[in-house]
Amino acid sequence: MAMSCSTLLFAAEVGESALDLSLPLIVNQAQNAETVSLSDHQGKIIYLDFWASWCPPCLVSMPIMNEMRNRLQSQGLPFEVIAVNVDSDVEDGMDFLLDKPVDFIVLTDPQGETPARYKIKGMPTSFLISAAGVIEMKHEGFKQSDAAMIEKEILRLSELSQ
Amino acid sequence: MILKLKLVMFPLIAIVAGVLAGCESVEAWERGTLAKPEMAIVSDSLEAALNDHIYFSKEASNGGHSATGGGCGCN
Repeated sequence: MAMSCSTLLFAAEVGESALDLSLPLIVNQAQNAETVSLSDHQGKIIYLDFWASWCPPCLVSMPIMNEMRNRLQSQGLPFEVIAVNVDSDVEDGMDFLLDKPVDFIVLTDPQGETPARYKIKGMPTSFLISAAGVIEMKHEGFKQSDAAMIEKEILRLSELSQ
Repeated sequence: MILKLKLVMFPLIAIVAGVLAGCESVEAWERGTLAKPEMAIVSDSLEAALNDHIYFSKEASNGGHSATGGGCGCN
């Protein structure tokens, strides 16, 4: 498949405009899967997270980010979490979500095209994207103690965009 | 002489090409199979932890023994 010039030049580093992605929701994998794009949430601060069910730190991050997302949204912050599950077997990701459901958007990419475009080196890797669509933070791995730092950065971006 | 050289070089190139074809990098998101417990060199987690402790304390070496955790280097 031919890659566009912007995809080839994209290094997924802080300061770059986030590359748009469009993937099906994990729950609607079977047929007529509804797709969600980053651009659908333009104007919001987005926490884009690449995760897999076989990656323990990824699983640690899911409930923490869910709680943070719900709390910040209830405070009126224009914030959304978009998680991309990269399990080659979609069922594995769905099994985890059935056990520990989350309220944010979970997309599926079993072919691994988007993590390749985002030059992922380890799992999980997350990107904090500003309301203007610029990557403001790239975070590899996840520990419970990282949540405070991520939230601080989200609040900083929120203040900047006001 | 040239014929002899060709006879030696051809199998040599074939072997090198065959070996290099086996070199395949596994991307971070493709490690699901490697992360399965049955893929671990030592499947008993207690024994693995004990071995790790021995290597760490006797040889000051640590890590690189498992794909579990996704290779993020965060644990």
